Formats: sequence, C-alpha cells, structure tokens
Amino acid sequence: MGALASSTTTAPAHGPGGAHGRTRDAARLLALLFFVLALGFAGTAFALGDVFFLRLATEALIFGGLALSVDLLLGRTGLLPLGQALFFGLGAYVAALTLKHGGGSFWLAMAAATAVSALAGLAGGLIAIRSKGVYFALISFGLAQVVSKVVYNTRELGASDGIIGVPQPTVLPGVGAADPLGFFLVVLVFVAAVYATLAYLGGTPFGRQLDAIRTNEHRVAFLGFDPWRYKLTAFVAAACIAGASGALYPMLRGFVSPELMFFQVSGNAVINVIVGGTGTLIGPLYGSALLTGLKSVVGSYTAHHHIVIGTLFVVVVILMPRGLIGYATPALQRWLDRRGGAR
Amino acid sequence: MPAALDWLQFVLAPQMINGLSIGVAVVLMALGLTIIFGLLDVINMAHGEFYAVGAYVAVALLTAGLNFWWALVLTPLLLAVLGYATERGLIQRVFHSKDRHTLTLLLTFGVAIVMEDVLKIVFGANPLRIEAPIAGATEMVGLFFPNYRLFVMVVGSLLIAAVWLLVFRTSIGAMVRAAAFDRHMSASLGVPVSTVYATTFAFGVALAGLAGVMLAPIYSVFPTMGRDFVLIAFSVVIIGGMGSIKGAVLAGLLLTQVQSISSLFISPVWSDPLLFGIMVLVLMWRPQGLFGKLGQA
Repeated sequence: MGALASSTTTAPAHGPGGAHGRTRDAARLLALLFFVLALGFAGTAFALGDVFFLRLATEALIFGGLALSVDLLLGRTGLLPLGQALFFGLGAYVAALTLKHGGGSFWLAMAAATAVSALAGLAGGLIAIRSKGVYFALISFGLAQVVSKVVYNTRELGASDGIIGVPQPTVLPGVGAADPLGFFLVVLVFVAAVYATLAYLGGTPFGRQLDAIRTNEHRVAFLGFDPWRYKLTAFVAAACIAGASGALYPMLRGFVSPELMFFQVSGNAVINVIVGGTGTLIGPLYGSALLTGLKSVVGSYTAHHHIVIGTLFVVVVILMPRGLIGYATPALQRWLDRRGGAR
Repeated sequence: MPAALDWLQFVLAPQMINGLSIGVAVVLMALGLTIIFGLLDVINMAHGEFYAVGAYVAVALLTAGLNFWWALVLTPLLLAVLGYATERGLIQRVFHSKDRHTLTLLLTFGVAIVMEDVLKIVFGANPLRIEAPIAGATEMVGLFFPNYRLFVMVVGSLLIAAVWLLVFRTSIGAMVRAAAFDRHMSASLGVPVSTVYATTFAFGVALAGLAGVMLAPIYSVFPTMGRDFVLIAFSVVIIGGMGSIKGAVLAGLLLTQVQSISSLFISPVWSDPLLFGIMVLVLMWRPQGLFGKLGQA
C-alpha cells in the first residue's frame, strides 16, 4: 500500500499529458492537424508570393526542433535542461563553418553538426547527469553560460559578431535553402522525422525506462536497470536533436552569432515546451509556432515582447501547468468518445 | 627575494583585497539564494534580476535627489516589499503542487524575463553609472585602496554576521529553521508557517537588492547585469551546499578569491570556466555540496 502511494505521489503534475493509452486517438489527431496546418500555411504563403512569413515559420519549426529535444528531457526523462541552446548553437556554428570552409554540402553540414553535438552531449552529460533535480537544471544552465561566454570572446569564431555570409546549400537537386518554400518543406520533413522517431521511441522499452525514471528513479535501480545509462542516452539524443536543429539555422538566416547559445534561447525552448504541453511532443511544436507568431505580432508594436511572453508563461505555469495540448488532448478525446458512443 | 615580496605586496595583495570586496557582495547574494532554498525549496531564478532591480532602485532614488545612504537603507526595504508580493502573489500559488521544485523554478524564471524587460523599458538598455559616495583612497602597507571598496568590505562583513545572528541566535531565526526542518510540526506548534515563508523570501530578495546597491558604484548598472553575477552566486550555493549558511559564506569568499587571483594569470574570459570546473569537481566529490541544509545546521 505504501509503495503504491509513493509511486502516485512522485508522478509529476504535468506528466506525459496522457499521450498514451486512452487518449491516443486525440493525440494522433492533434499531431496530424499540426502538419496539415503547416502544409496548408505553406501552400497559402506560396500562392500569395509571401517570403517573410514563410521564413518566419521555418524559424519557428527550427526552434520547434530544439523544443522537441527539451521535451525529450523534461517531459519524458524528468530532467529540466536550462542550457539546451548550448547544443543548438554548437550545431549552428559547426554547420556554418562546414558550409563556409568545407565545400558547402547540406548533408555534410548536418552530419558534422550532429556528430559534434553528440560528442559535446556525451561530455556535458557526463558532467550534468551526475546531479539530480534542480542541481541538473543549474549545471546545464552553467555549462551553456560558460561555453557561450568563451565563444563570445573567441576571435577565431568571430567573437560577438559571429560568422556571417554563410552560403545557402542545396539540399536535393532543385531544392535549396535559398528557396523559401523548398526549405520550409525540408525543415518540416526534418521536424516530422524527429517527432515520429521520438513518438515511436516513447512506446519502446527504452521509452518506458525513461517514463519509469521520471516517475521514480530509485525504483528503476531496484528493478535491475541502471538509470544513469538511460539518462545519458536521452541526454546525448537530445543534444543531437538540438544540434541538428541548430545546423538548419545558418542555412535559413545566413549567419550565426553567440546569442544562439545564450540563455534567452534555452529559456524560450523551455517556454515553448511548457506552454505547448510538457511530454506531449506535439505540444512543443504548437508552442513554438504560437510563440514565434506572437513574438512577431507583438514585436511589430513594441520592442519589448519579452514582457508579454514572460507574463503569458507565468500565467501558464500557475493556471495551466499541463500546457495547451496537455488540456486539449483529453478534451478532444472526450468529444471523440462521445461521438463514438452516440453512433 | 625582494622581487617576490614586491609581487606579493603590490600585485597579489591588492587583487585579494579587491576580490574580498566583491566577495562579501557575492556572499550576500548567495545567502539570499541559499536561505530561500533552504526554507522554501525554491530555486529563485529571478535572484539576479532582483539584484539588478536593487541597483536600479538606487539609481532612481539618487535621481530623485536622495543621497546614497538613504538609497542604501531604502532599497532593501523596497525590495523586501517586492519579494513579499512575489511570494504571496505567485510562488504561493504553485507551492503545494507535487513538483514544486520545477514549477517554482519555471515561475521565477518567467518573473525574471518580465523584470528584465521592465528595467529596459523604464531605464533604457544603456549602462548607467553612479558616483561612489565615498571618494578617495586610504594608504595601507604602502598601497592605496579605494575607500568605497573598504567600506563595502566592512559593511558587508557586518551584514553577513548580522544575518548569521538573525538566523541562529534569535527567535525569528529559530522559527525559520524550525519551518525548514519540519513544516507540519512547526505549524502545529503555532509557527505561522506561510508568513514565515513569505517573509523569508522577502528577506532573501532584500539581500540581493542590497548587493545590487553596494556594487552599483563599482560596476555599471545595466538590465542584464544580474545574469553573470547570479551564475557565481549559484556556483557558491551549489558548492557550499544548497541551504547552508556556513557553506555560502566560505564558498563565496573562496570562489571570489580564486576568481581575482586567477585573473593575474589567465584572461578573465576563462575565469568563469575555471569556477565552473571547481564546482563540477566539488560535486563529483560531494554531490550534496560541502555543508548540510538550513534545518540541520
């Protein structure tokens, strides 16, 4: 009885949002809706000859990839990363350098960024995974802060100016980063692939292990599994996802700057995840799209959009800690069930 | 060995004294963080922003015509009000949730974003300076030390001692420690636990604000000034042990000494990685930090 009680009390309040089991249909529907809306948006923007909003949406998707990596750690593994921008920025720098000095191949840049992020993730993971809870959060925050400061002061990496004039690569024959619609679709396919992989992993024994670690790490050890190994794997995987997402950034904007590693970027990724719905995977993508849009709208009136974003975030944390999708999924499922029952 | 002695006297000693004046401010900052964590289990991500607000409130009070000494007294009081309101209005609302750690961390992080932007709107993004209220320098062992830095050292040390006395030698401090040790037991013994929480948070925030005013004449004042500074304070608290007062004082003085002495040999760019490396090493050796929590101290 005591064991049962302890396993329920340690479950986080904004857990996986019920992405499995009873609400699977609704979760799938909301995921499908996101990608359908994205394609619809792309079609509309292309038909209207728009470039600005297509580029902005591409950026939202890129930061959505970063948010997915945060959700893998926060929503699935129960680790709050406050320095995920470290790997995002690292991927962006490696891709920028590869594109500028290494021949300009899209695939080479992506591979290099992912490989370097994996190594950095391993090194960072060995440091950060040792600690738990808030200690992990603070150490990941510190790691990013330290590295970003070093990059900011390294003249070989352009110091505070970053690297400008990154050539826009060709992805496939006829599809290049210079083509707004083509590159939007490339990034959409990338994000969809990351989403599908993470959604699939959630159902595998590995994903169950992560769920178990989030719910009660001590008991995982008693069952004969080593939580450390699973946490490190999740951390390296999240670093790879963040790094690969970051690699897309210089292709879109043509430059990288140390700001990409700053706390603002890490913090925004966490905000996207919380507002969208922690542990829902699709929620962070909705969150990223929503907040990028909001920032653009508010930004057209005032330069101080952080006040709006910050207030929204505080309200979400207090009033709806499960996030938009965390509340929308069960509601939609109830509606689906009612309709199914009436038939 | 006259060269070595000269080096000790003219290079090392001034560096250590300067480090000490920053050190007491770092300790004040870390004390606020560690007391808040020790009692409420809240990681105050907005602590650096409260420090910045403290510096800006001082700027505003000086602009309004008050002198520095009034600012030094009034700023912590105003910050305490702000802290009290933050605890009662926001933190209290998620305090009884199951994963309080994460939620309060996120909440204070949101508060930090808003406060930073408010500072930018009210005061602008450009760095401001305030005059040191005590001019001149004092000669000691053949060296000149700015009087204001000496003042910061003395007053800061007195304040640290006062905080220690308050927590360990008064009935208010006993209530705070009791609430940190076992909140339900304390509540049943008549300790007004929720008031103690709010007051303690306000007190921690006031300490951050005080550090902000005291360092304002030494550093320049800008909206993101808290972010770098809070990293040192976090390292201090992690090394000293989250919630430990003794740990915050010792680790704070130690880390700032390492920082200022190392700047003689390495570029200041590398001083943060150095501090961070020390923190990681300490955590490998003792994951819970050097000393225990507030309730057990």
